[in-house]
Amino acid sequence: MLKQIINRYESKAFAFLILMFALVSVVNSDFLTGESVVNCFNDSVVFTLLAVGSAFVILTGEIDVSVGSVLGISAAVAATILRDGGSLFTAVTMAICVGAFFGLVNGIGVAVLKIPSLIFTLGTYGVARGMVYVYTGGAWVENLPAWFTSASHSYLCGYLTWYYALVLVFVIFVQFLLSHTKKGHNFIAVGDNYQGAELVGINPTQTKIYAYVISGVFASVAGLLFTSRIGFITPMSGNSYEMKAIAACVLGGISLSGGLGTLIGAAIGAVIMTSITRILVFLGLSSNYDNTITGIILIVIVVVNTIIQNREIVKSRREISLKRIAQKAFIDNQEGSR
Amino acid sequence: MKRWDLTLLVILILEICIFAYANPKFLMPRVIFGSINDIIPICIISLFVTMVMITAGIDIQAGAVVGLSSIIVGVTWQDLGLNIWVASLVAIIIAALVGLLTGYIVAYYQVQPMVVTLGGSFLYAGLALLISTLSSTESYKGISGFPESFVNFASYRIGGVLPVQVVVFLVMTAIAWFLLHKTKYGRKIFLIGINQNAAEYSGINTRFIIMSTYVLSGIAAAVSGILLTSYLGTAKSDLGATITLPIITAVVLGGTLMTGGKGSIIGTALAAVIIGVLKFGLPLCFRVNMQYLDIPVGLLLLIVISARALSNRPEVIVFISNLKKKNRS
Repeated sequence: MLKQIINRYESKAFAFLILMFALVSVVNSDFLTGESVVNCFNDSVVFTLLAVGSAFVILTGEIDVSVGSVLGISAAVAATILRDGGSLFTAVTMAICVGAFFGLVNGIGVAVLKIPSLIFTLGTYGVARGMVYVYTGGAWVENLPAWFTSASHSYLCGYLTWYYALVLVFVIFVQFLLSHTKKGHNFIAVGDNYQGAELVGINPTQTKIYAYVISGVFASVAGLLFTSRIGFITPMSGNSYEMKAIAACVLGGISLSGGLGTLIGAAIGAVIMTSITRILVFLGLSSNYDNTITGIILIVIVVVNTIIQNREIVKSRREISLKRIAQKAFIDNQEGSR
Repeated sequence: MKRWDLTLLVILILEICIFAYANPKFLMPRVIFGSINDIIPICIISLFVTMVMITAGIDIQAGAVVGLSSIIVGVTWQDLGLNIWVASLVAIIIAALVGLLTGYIVAYYQVQPMVVTLGGSFLYAGLALLISTLSSTESYKGISGFPESFVNFASYRIGGVLPVQVVVFLVMTAIAWFLLHKTKYGRKIFLIGINQNAAEYSGINTRFIIMSTYVLSGIAAAVSGILLTSYLGTAKSDLGATITLPIITAVVLGGTLMTGGKGSIIGTALAAVIIGVLKFGLPLCFRVNMQYLDIPVGLLLLIVISARALSNRPEVIVFISNLKKKNRS
């Protein structure tokens, strides 16, 4: 049981996160005050939602590069409603509807029309980003009600914000559904082996559409939290977040070829991605190093992981062939003795 | 010419006709070539990303390499005191090395190309920013004050009309077309995209060829980075930040399969020009706000790709052939 937990990729990612924190604490002991560490988690709340949403799509073997734009458009819609005195309920419902709509369009394009997912979501990426400009008229959406923006500073206990606590519980809940329900298994089955999943009676088209709708809804909820945390929306809000979300998934051990990985991994990956910026401050480096370090970590982790995997494949193949030789020798031996 | 290339050509001619009808100014060479610089990086890079994609790879770091090569030109010229043309050569060599590293990781370690180039897009954009802080100029200002000959290079018009960028684009198209469609090297690229194992067993050094396509796309990114630097007269680290997705759009619209094994340089070149003309013509002829241009480009991609996917479905093919039969009888 323990060995199983240690061997899981998420635990390696988590260990990496702790190692990163430990290294920073050695250099600068100020980091170890609870506030800084917990804030790394608090800051990741938007990326956690984005990455977990994208993870659903990536698990089914597809990709979604429209999440950043969907975040932008749903945040713009919600922020405009709130600014004009609308209720929270309307804002949340509208944002989620927008997210679900784009998810549905993506799902139909990819699963029904069978268009490669990168291309189709690239199209919706452009359309959604352009719609943010049209909807906001290119202006910032400001003057949001104070109760909405201050909600991001309400703490559950200590330095932990309500937002991260709720998102964490939600992600764990969704992960439970994914790994313990039949519908949840479908996502992984479709990503692992499309034809095989179809043969055992799973509807892969439907599953992929679900995955995209979930990704869209997660992006829109991330948009709501983004609005609440930042307090205003620009037409460029959420731009290039999709790449960071995908990178978070990769760091969290989700294979881009589908069928491998967990949502918890994506959540940990999101924390690693966002804490790099905060850690740089404690290391006394300028934020200019942000992208360089992210890139190096991403490439090194992926290359090392692939080398280890390839070695394991070679090793297991050798073991299998050795076993076969032994079996054959055993059989030959028996036949010879007759 | 293949059927898809022909379709693209028709779309392009239709597009130009519509724009010319809406605003006759559109056809003036001065106007049409005036905005060439906004689209030239997309045009040049997408040609070589086509090759990468035919081997079933993908390159989403090209935009970052554009910025990196631009800032390398600036820093090596200003702070190392190199001749500007030597500095350009240094930028091209470094971009080729960047491509070599990416290609090596993709081909020899078999890491997914999407992941490696995703990491690369962070890494090289970050490195470009770091290099810009090494310079004595503030990084957000960009390095300027290049020699006349370098700045004039991009604004030079051959015969007073044809910008030098167009010539570079045409030459690059010719090189890419020749490499991909007329040489053994090109046939090997296609074979690798169709079936890498089969290619390996037929004695092709598949890894080396995959690696070489990334080197070519790195060099193309550097060339367009230098052209942009020359045109703007400023070296900045974030020059190519927004062109990654348009490049992929152009390649895919040009008829290249994401899964590899199929594609054409002519198609990519036409598609890149279609996107460029659309981005340039809509504001000029229909007064569409520049900021809304993502919508028409996105819609164009969605509609063309959906129509293409639909027309390849068996039931649609049967339906169309039935229609033809009915018409005959």
